[in-house]
Parts: sequence; structure tokens; C-alpha cells
Amino acid sequence: MAPSEQGILQRLMSQRDRISAAAWLVVRDAHIAEDIFQNVALKALAKEVAFDSDGALMSWAFITARREGIDWLRRQKNAPVSLDETILELLEAEWASESLGQAGGRSQALRDCLSELPAKSRELLKMRYFDGQRCEEVAASLNTKLDAIYKRLSRLHQALKFCIETKLTQAPS
Amino acid sequence: MALNEEQQAQLLRHLNGELSPAEASGVAQLLKEDAEARAFLRGVAEQAVVVADVERLAQHREPAKVVRPVFSPVKWAVAAAIILVLAGSFLFTVQSVNQGHTAEVIAIHGPNQHLGADGVTRPELAPGAMLRVGEKLRTLSSRSWVRLKLNDGSYVMLTGRSSLRMIRDESHRAFLLRYGNLWATISTPEGAKPFSVLTETARINTSNAQFDIETKFQEISVVSVDSGSVTTERLSDGSQVEVAADHQTIISMSQRRALAARRQPEPVNQWNCKMLSSPEAVFGKWLAPNANNAVRLNATPLLIGKNKTIYAANFSVRSSGSPPVMIEKGSRFRIRLTTKTADPVYVGITTKKHRGGFFGKYTEKVEGDQLGQAGKTRMIEIPVSDFVPLDKSLSPSSVGTELTDIWVVSPKESAELEIHKVEFVAREVGQ
Repeated sequence: MAPSEQGILQRLMSQRDRISAAAWLVVRDAHIAEDIFQNVALKALAKEVAFDSDGALMSWAFITARREGIDWLRRQKNAPVSLDETILELLEAEWASESLGQAGGRSQALRDCLSELPAKSRELLKMRYFDGQRCEEVAASLNTKLDAIYKRLSRLHQALKFCIETKLTQAPS
Repeated sequence: MALNEEQQAQLLRHLNGELSPAEASGVAQLLKEDAEARAFLRGVAEQAVVVADVERLAQHREPAKVVRPVFSPVKWAVAAAIILVLAGSFLFTVQSVNQGHTAEVIAIHGPNQHLGADGVTRPELAPGAMLRVGEKLRTLSSRSWVRLKLNDGSYVMLTGRSSLRMIRDESHRAFLLRYGNLWATISTPEGAKPFSVLTETARINTSNAQFDIETKFQEISVVSVDSGSVTTERLSDGSQVEVAADHQTIISMSQRRALAARRQPEPVNQWNCKMLSSPEAVFGKWLAPNANNAVRLNATPLLIGKNKTIYAANFSVRSSGSPPVMIEKGSRFRIRLTTKTADPVYVGITTKKHRGGFFGKYTEKVEGDQLGQAGKTRMIEIPVSDFVPLDKSLSPSSVGTELTDIWVVSPKESAELEIHKVEFVAREVGQ
């Protein structure tokens, strides 16, 4: 059955982190990625397209987010080099194939894990992903080497992944 | 296969845009073949957007700091006397410290979008609505504007296609202007935080000034000051310059030129948007030249609300590097365009007061029969007197003001509107 307008919005909101993340992989800017998600939601509600199922909606949402991201990149002078579209499609397919029902739990687990991070680690993530600083700028601000920043970021991402998995495993089913 | 730390760092380097083509090709191969690498990348992307989301919410929720006076019973009598004397100023101070950073919508025109700090779309803003820290306002169309009154009595106006977020800053009343046009009249009372606007390329701080900013993501920020003064900082190298009244500065990421404030040039009465040589001034989609036209700018779809899409191209006078352009009686617009249907096209302009703030937006509908044969390139001329104000609150005529931008809009995708040339032509001698 085709999802209703309310159903479309609910489904998109439940997958907000993933759709925004797919856009982020193209534009590498969390604020622009959020703009793109909002545009995707507006377009879905504008009924320019009909959706036969939740799967069709999600597939359309990922493709639309990618196209919006690529359009945005084209308008920029110093745009980052985007990933090959076949890789982006692979990533989107993997996102879409993950259990839809799990997204909400993952999202909350990630937020909980972030709140448990030490202040220094959270500041590093904030500088890189909220303030949008390049790794060189973060290294200069923290008076440390670029390699050390990559190492810290890499470990932080791994720690968060482990934390999410632990919380999801422990959560009552 | 589990990724090692070196491979993870390589993926992060790729996201930071610092890999050579050969290294990038290696990363692409890794991502095609290794599901673990893709899972890592997906994890980083999800974490990046959630970090930004959590920070936005944290800024929204963090309460304003309240200074609590220390009370000592021993000194009560002395304190009571002092309190009586200082009651007025004490109350004023507490009041100003307690006031959060909010903005009230006092006028709107055209479509806008209001996003909560949690990223959820809220109903379109209307006069009387409040904008709070963490929330975002987007004006969606070239014809849109929203006027805000800050709780320190200052005024901020967002016009055209623009995106503005109220952000928390310990020492300023701060806004993040992602793109578009902001006009501000700032008058900071004693004891209140100064005003600050952050763009992709610059930070602009002031306590008392009338100024405006035009910014286009990382490309450029143009700051013009009409009265008072503002301090601008170029974010790419931290260099600063004070911009006084009647001066302006252009800030880009490039550090090739020293940051400098220059006196606003004397106005001229004509303008030719040299589209190819000033892409910063143009909004639209470039098409390859064809036999008929070397310059082809396609109107870009803009979603301006539920079930509403328009197709627009926009041309900024200031970002084109031109001196201010005065609109005189008898001036006219000359636009070379192609449209594939007989549907009307709308041409609009934004104007500002000479050495002053926002003045108004004006538009003219060009009927299909004036556009010639569908599919054929046509030159149209529109006298400035044909333009009508978009809102009844505006002056009926734009004569005597400065032109800041021009937009051309088709409501139909099938029109495939293309713009080839835009000129503002001075009145002819003897007119």
C-alpha cells in the first residue's frame, strides 16, 4: 500500500540520520547535508513522485539526496572530490537493506554514546564535523600533528561504533 | 576483513580531500571490494551528521548564564542603601543578562521555511513568531524577505534565497549566514552582547552599524557598511579589517590579496552582467554553447513550498564587482532570453537605499506574446517604470535607489528558460 503523507514524513524522519549521512558523503558538510534532507522531505511531500512502498520511498530519498548533493558540488568552486557514483550507490543500497526498524535504536544509541565521550574527544568531533574545520585546521588549533588527528579520529569513530553495538546488544528486545 | 588503522586513516584523509589521484583511486578500489571499508565510511558519515545535530541542540538548550548577587546579612544595612540607589541600573542589568538570544518576526513576504533546532520543519514563520538559538530560517524565493527584531532592539532582514541560523556564542548575539543576503541595523545597548554574523569565509562583528552582507557559500562574502563600523575577520588566515561607514570589503577563501576595506565606489547608471567572467554573481545552471548562443544560463528549479516549484536565474550586481548602480527615471532592463513555451516570465529586482539599507523588491510580468516565437532567442526591454512593488508597504517606485540584484523566473519547467545576457541601460540623453 502506498504510504500516506504522514507516513512518508514519519518514515523519512526515522531515516533522517542515514539520508543526511548519504548526503554528507557527497558534500562533506553537515549543515548542507541537513539542508538537503529538508529538501528531500519537501520534495516527497510535494507529491511530484508516487511511492508504491516504503522501500521505493527510501530508494528515491537516497538517490534524490545524492543528486541534490552533486548539484550543490557543481555550484561550488572548491568542492571536494566526490566518491565514484557506483560506490555511493553501493553505500546507499547497504543503508537501505539494513533493518528499517533498527534505525531509531541506532540513532539514539549513537547520541547516548556521544554524550558519554570525554569533553576533549567531543570537542575534536565538534571542530571537525560541526564547525566544519579541515583536519589541518584542527591540528593547528590543537597544536598537534596532522597524523595524530587522523589517529584520534579513527579511534574515536571505532569507539563509537563499538559503543553503539554494545548498547544495541544490551537493549531489551 | 577488518580494517586496520592505516586504512581507516586513509579513508579519513579521503574525506578531508587531501589524497592524490593515485591514492584516491586506491581508496575507491578498497571501497568497491571491501564491505568493512564501506561500513566504516557509513559509520563516519552517520557520526558526522549526528555530532552536528547534537551540537545544534546543545546550543539551543544551554541556558543563558545568570549572574547571582551574593547576599551578606552583616552588610545588610549598607547593601539596602546601595540597592535603593542602584535599583534602576541593577534591574536593567539583570533584565539584559536574563534575556536569551531571540528574534521576533515582524514582517514577511514570499515563501520561507522554519527549521527547529531538532531539524524538524516547523510551520512557515508569520509576524509575531519567535526564532530561537539553534533554529534556522530559510527564505526560499528571490521575492522573499523576513524582517526580524532582536530583543536588544536591533533589526535584521533576510532577503532573496538565503539561509540563516541563530547560534550560541558566549560573547555575541550570533547568526550563521550560510548563503544569501542579510541586512542589519544594529544598535547594542550598554551591557548587551555585540552582534556577530558568521559566513563560510568571514566573521563580522559590530555593536553599532547599518550594513549588509551578501554571501555565496565558500566563494565570497561582500560586506558593505553604510553607517557605524564593523570588524571583519577572514577565516582562512585570521586577518582582520575594520570597515567604516561608506566602505566595503570582499572576503574570499583565497589569501592572495590582503584583506582591505575600500571606499564604496561612486555610483554608475548602467550595468552589464558579464556572466561568464563573474560566475560568483550568477545563480543558474550553465549549459554548453550552441549555434545560437555562446552564453546559456538555464533557470534552476527552486522548491518554494508544498507543490510549488519555480525555475529561476539570479544576477547579483555587487558580486559582479560593479560599483553601485543607480536606478534613474527612464532606465530600462535589456534581457536576451529563450523560452520554449508561450508562458509568461517574471522579472524582478531588489533595491537598496543609496548608502542605506534594504529598500524593496519590484517585479514585472512579461506575457508570452511579448516573448516572441517559442523556442527562438529574443531580446526584451523593460522600462523601470513598468516594475511594481511586491508589497503594499513598499514605495510605488524604485527610482533613486540602488539596484542590488535581478532575477528572471518561469513558473513552468517546460519553458526551459535560458538567459543569455542581462543589462541595465541608462536613460537616453534628452529623455
